[in-house]
Amino acid sequence: MLRKNLKFRNTILLLLLFIPFMSNAQDLTGKEIIKKVYYRDDGDDRRGKLTMTLINSRGDQRVREIKQFDKDFGKEEKKIMFFISPADVRNTSFMNWSYDDPAKDDDQWIYLPALGKVKRISSDSKDDYFMGSDFTYDDLGDRHPDEDTHKLLRTETINGEECYVVESLPREDGYMYSKTVTWVIKDKWIGLQKKFYDEDGEYLKILNVKDYKSFDGILVITHSEMHNVQKDHKTVMKYKDIEINTGIDSGYFTERMMTRGL
Amino acid sequence: MIPTMRNIFTLLVFSIVSFTSVGQSPEIHGYVRNYTGALTGQNGDFSIVQNTLDLDIEKSSFDMAFQANPYIYHYADKDELDYGLREAYIDLYTDNMDIRLGKQQIIWGKADGVFITDVVSPKDLREFLLPDFDEIRQGITAAKIDYFSGNRTFELVWAPVFVPTHYPEKESIWFPKSYPDNYIIDNSEKEVKAGLENSELFFKYSRLSSSFDVELMAGYMWDDDPAMHTRRYMDPQTMTVDSVVATPKHHRLSLAGGSFSTQIEGVVLRSEAAYYMDKKFATQNPADRDGITEKDYAHYLVGADFIVGGANVSLQFIQETIMDYEEPLVQDEFSNTMTFLMNDDYLNNKLTLELFAYIGLDNEDALIRPKATYELHNGLNLITGANLFTGTKGRFGQYNANDMAYFKLRYDF
Repeated sequence: MLRKNLKFRNTILLLLLFIPFMSNAQDLTGKEIIKKVYYRDDGDDRRGKLTMTLINSRGDQRVREIKQFDKDFGKEEKKIMFFISPADVRNTSFMNWSYDDPAKDDDQWIYLPALGKVKRISSDSKDDYFMGSDFTYDDLGDRHPDEDTHKLLRTETINGEECYVVESLPREDGYMYSKTVTWVIKDKWIGLQKKFYDEDGEYLKILNVKDYKSFDGILVITHSEMHNVQKDHKTVMKYKDIEINTGIDSGYFTERMMTRGL
Repeated sequence: MIPTMRNIFTLLVFSIVSFTSVGQSPEIHGYVRNYTGALTGQNGDFSIVQNTLDLDIEKSSFDMAFQANPYIYHYADKDELDYGLREAYIDLYTDNMDIRLGKQQIIWGKADGVFITDVVSPKDLREFLLPDFDEIRQGITAAKIDYFSGNRTFELVWAPVFVPTHYPEKESIWFPKSYPDNYIIDNSEKEVKAGLENSELFFKYSRLSSSFDVELMAGYMWDDDPAMHTRRYMDPQTMTVDSVVATPKHHRLSLAGGSFSTQIEGVVLRSEAAYYMDKKFATQNPADRDGITEKDYAHYLVGADFIVGGANVSLQFIQETIMDYEEPLVQDEFSNTMTFLMNDDYLNNKLTLELFAYIGLDNEDALIRPKATYELHNGLNLITGANLFTGTKGRFGQYNANDMAYFKLRYDF
């Protein structure tokens, strides 16, 4: 009887020891993993300078610099960007208000110094490439997990980081990507690598996160590279001068700031 | 004024050095541009060979800023330079208020390429509507006060000195064809003297929100476009009109209007309207002295912006209406215009193609403007395009002989 009880106790202990690993490695679904990426703590507000270097197949480089501020306001997020270079787009600003409700379209405005006024623009441009880079507007935003179906394919170690490999298929017809596959770092919930397949199912481009940093426990991607393998065109994106949770005034996300600039 | 190159150079150097020497270190940006255009229908004569230096000198801090925007145009067929200050102003910022004093361009409304409530800054139409809009708009000396409350803005503009629309000279290819050859222009009453009683006042309320953007405005101003008072002189022997003396004269004008924009299913819908009280119109009614009568007048627009296959498309319909219309008026009761804009970029934003057109619906005339911009290097762009006029009469058809092709090389720094 005692022996039977000991065997039962040992079995429970063994189960308790393995449960955390089992829940990470096996119990999490693809959707749960992508939700953890989506809901990862990124602070209440963020500011920093974004530099994009566009490199074509001949190695020619063009540089775009942007100062950006964004802040969470409950169920909406507001972002404002000020274009610093190249000189012909200097003082252009762009503001985006996005909403948790996936049914509600983003609101977007642009201020072009040559026109001298703030203009509402269509947010129906998610598949447009941002400033000639290899990132679309949708790549730069937070795509809601409910917009795709997700499947955990396997676990794999890349660059020394143990990752979940999740395949995502869009629910809507005609979306610009027929499939994406994301390598998500376990316990950090950062997409370390992501492969994109075009509407015909052909391999289109790959995103590699080269570096990320912790700001008071909040992980921020500071260096990434998107390579369009079909065009052999790359965009190197670096995010610097980062400040998190500084209490950005809500007055930053207004027409006043768009026209005044930095 | 005909300045010498040395004077210009001295002025610029003095300006820049004086700013930097007091340790203020303003930022200096701007562009250099060559603009060469040829008339395609007139043996390829050049319509313009222009070299431009345009500077933005600016400095800003938490509670103030200044900006000066000097420009110099050099024309290959003229000895003199055309130069000036597009803007020169000082900004003062408080928590809820911005004050801007000095020469400034003030731009209102939601319309593209059309001036409806955008009436504060007058226009320079010496090259019709072909220059960039920041070159068409003239700066005015004004005090502008903006009070902010959340996403609402209350704006008050006081302009003590009236600046009229700048029209082309009679010998210019852009001089309107609407005046008969026997017209003699008498400019003796054209000037509006600067003074408190002649100042202009404008007010605007605007709100930007997640569901819609709205502007409401009112103005007590001078009509930027002069009314042409006419006197007819008869030949005593033949008793026919021998000559007509036209005396352009600016008149007071009150107007109110507004604009609105929202997004529905990815389509941005826009509208803008202005109602003018007692605007002066030319009439052929002999009972009206000087050939001028007063009528209320409405100018409005509806438009939509959307994306098709990655290209941005914009459509606008514009109507001008004279209220209580009487038949002898020179201008038609209704004037209907459309605009079309489509642009897209290629080669990772190196190449941008654009097609813009004004279409006159009453006279079947149009101005069609295809344009290609290629980024040669960071900040260096080659722009080539054409301005094609169709029709034989109307706002655009009158320039049918002025079709032109052009290229511009522009370096921004």
